[in-house]
Amino acid sequence: MISKTFLKETKELLREGRVRIAFVVVILLLGVSVWISARQYENVNQQYEIAKTAERAIWDNQGEKNPHSAAHYGTYAFKPKYPLSLVDQGVDKYAGSSIFLEAHNRNEAQFSAATDQTGLARFGDLTPDFILLFIIPLFIILLGYNSFTKEREMGTLTLLKSQGISSWKWMLGKWAALFLPIFCITALLFLIAGFLLNGLENFGVFSWSSLFTLFLVYIAYYIVFTNLVLLISAKTKKSGISLVISLCVWIIACLAAPKAASNIAETKHPYPTRQEFAANVLKDRREGVDGHNPWSKEAKLLEVRVLQEYGVDSLHQLPFNFDAYRMQKGEEHEAEVYLKHYNHLKNQYSKQTQVYRGLAAISPYLPTRFLSMSIAHTDYATHWDFADAAEDYRVATQKFLNDNFAENSNYGDWGYRADASFWKSLPIFEYDPPELDFILSENFSNILILAFWIASSFGLLILFTKTI
Amino acid sequence: MIITNNLSKNYGGQTALDSLNLSVKTGEIYCLLGANGAGKTTTINLLLGFIEPSSGSAFINQLNVHENPKATKRFLAYIPENLMLYPSLSALENLDYFSGIAGKKISASDLEVFLNEAGLQPEAFNKRISTFSKGMRQKVGIAIALAKEAKVLLLDEPTSGLDPKASNEFGLLLQKLRNKGVATLMATHDLFRAKEVATHIGIMKDGNLKQQLVASDITLQELEKAYLQTMEYKALAL
Repeated sequence: MISKTFLKETKELLREGRVRIAFVVVILLLGVSVWISARQYENVNQQYEIAKTAERAIWDNQGEKNPHSAAHYGTYAFKPKYPLSLVDQGVDKYAGSSIFLEAHNRNEAQFSAATDQTGLARFGDLTPDFILLFIIPLFIILLGYNSFTKEREMGTLTLLKSQGISSWKWMLGKWAALFLPIFCITALLFLIAGFLLNGLENFGVFSWSSLFTLFLVYIAYYIVFTNLVLLISAKTKKSGISLVISLCVWIIACLAAPKAASNIAETKHPYPTRQEFAANVLKDRREGVDGHNPWSKEAKLLEVRVLQEYGVDSLHQLPFNFDAYRMQKGEEHEAEVYLKHYNHLKNQYSKQTQVYRGLAAISPYLPTRFLSMSIAHTDYATHWDFADAAEDYRVATQKFLNDNFAENSNYGDWGYRADASFWKSLPIFEYDPPELDFILSENFSNILILAFWIASSFGLLILFTKTI
Repeated sequence: MIITNNLSKNYGGQTALDSLNLSVKTGEIYCLLGANGAGKTTTINLLLGFIEPSSGSAFINQLNVHENPKATKRFLAYIPENLMLYPSLSALENLDYFSGIAGKKISASDLEVFLNEAGLQPEAFNKRISTFSKGMRQKVGIAIALAKEAKVLLLDEPTSGLDPKASNEFGLLLQKLRNKGVATLMATHDLFRAKEVATHIGIMKDGNLKQQLVASDITLQELEKAYLQTMEYKALAL
């Protein structure tokens, strides 16, 4: 009975003009969005490789220079574009692609794609995630809103019931007929994305397992939508009403709930303004050693402590350059200050994430989006991770430079120049994003919420189908 | 095959069917005559298990309908006044689906045999139902009953809206099914058709079975007189 109903529904769908047109439109949109994203991905990664190589070459070829001058001259940490960003671009567009690493300051990522766009960007981009998250659920509604109501409206329901139809088998047949085209479209998109990414060997490490996991996340999302659309159709008397209710659910789940969740999270756990953040950092920085200010109270205390520690009377008697030592102590203090304030930001971010996750129960869109961005390495968590790695590298770089300065010169010797070959000994910045296992364990609650959505919507569907 | 024992149905304070006692045996065609609201469709809906009886019981093939709703449906076929099938599917595809969900596995060639037996022209087998007349759809309905090997056929005003030729063809099909041993209960307004096809006739009014007649014992005029007498009572009451 399941296969008979499945075949019958599929034939009916294929013979309907609106379905054929919608199918072609969705495939076209997917094709165009994947093509645009692939081009963009390739382009950005070429730029990434060029910028990374060029910046390193500039660093390596500074010639003889004072290490602290080099520290101020700085370098860049470039954020690679990850392969699965082809499927979900997440917050990449807004998060910035590189961080300037210099002495004394922790800078934020800059040069985001959004800043390069015109006002037309407000209309949004045609990306695969847009199709996957918004258009395909609409397609499910278009295909399935009248799945049960049409039986009432056409009058076939009476005949079906008189044939002794099993309601759950009937429902499963309809479910399969609605879900199969969605499954095929999604599988097609992911296969194309997989082969495209597999072919771009020079750009990031592509993992089929991550792509497959991402595919499963979207399949779970579509299962929920399929269940919801069918249960609405089973519960309503008329196709028009079913369509309106289904569209309302789509609007609430995909448009209203994410924005409401975002507003609630930001209201409950706000970030400090940029000015507040800068003022707080400055205040704390002033309470510690400033590498460039030998006359401050903290610098003088450091001087006394070091002289006592080494049992000497003068900074000139120290076996290292105290200026560079103070510079390093200043760096360490500044790094602590930044760590404290960025940890506060991260803490706020974690609290906001908790609110999001709490609200994910009101919309299957939210857990899907979080999982999708995390797996694609395009979420804020990955961006934070990258920014932290860049900061660790900056701190290590400053120590590397200050140590060279301290060990190879004497107090007051600001004319010291490190050898031209010295710069090459600084390790290259490498960043590895979180592994899939870690991402899944971090997103366990989202997986649970999505599973809850599947189970509850399917349970309700079975219940409602019984009452037809 | 079909038995009702004091079968009653009330909607609120309104009696739709009042203690109906009826028996339709194998190879019999029982026509229920009556005006709108007489209780004919309620009887059929109770036999189909679509509604619960207020009291009494209905049996199909010796099984209580309301205790065995699924099992009784295995034995029966139903053709409503306006048989609706899937318009985008062909006659063969509709027959395949409806017999399939009834648990019958029938080959394509056998499906054609059933359609043929139901009197549908072979050139219509693969045409979409949306192009079919009501008479042609009723023939597909009969084919569904044939494919299901139904022992009981419930018909709710099946000839309403059919032209005389189609109505006559439908009557002949019922005779064929009767010869196969099918017990048929048909609700109708059509006295002429009832006299033509029925073995037994019941006249209902206000949920009560007022008269039961053996079709062969009366003429069409006598049937008409009996019907009008029963209905006149209603007219006088109004």
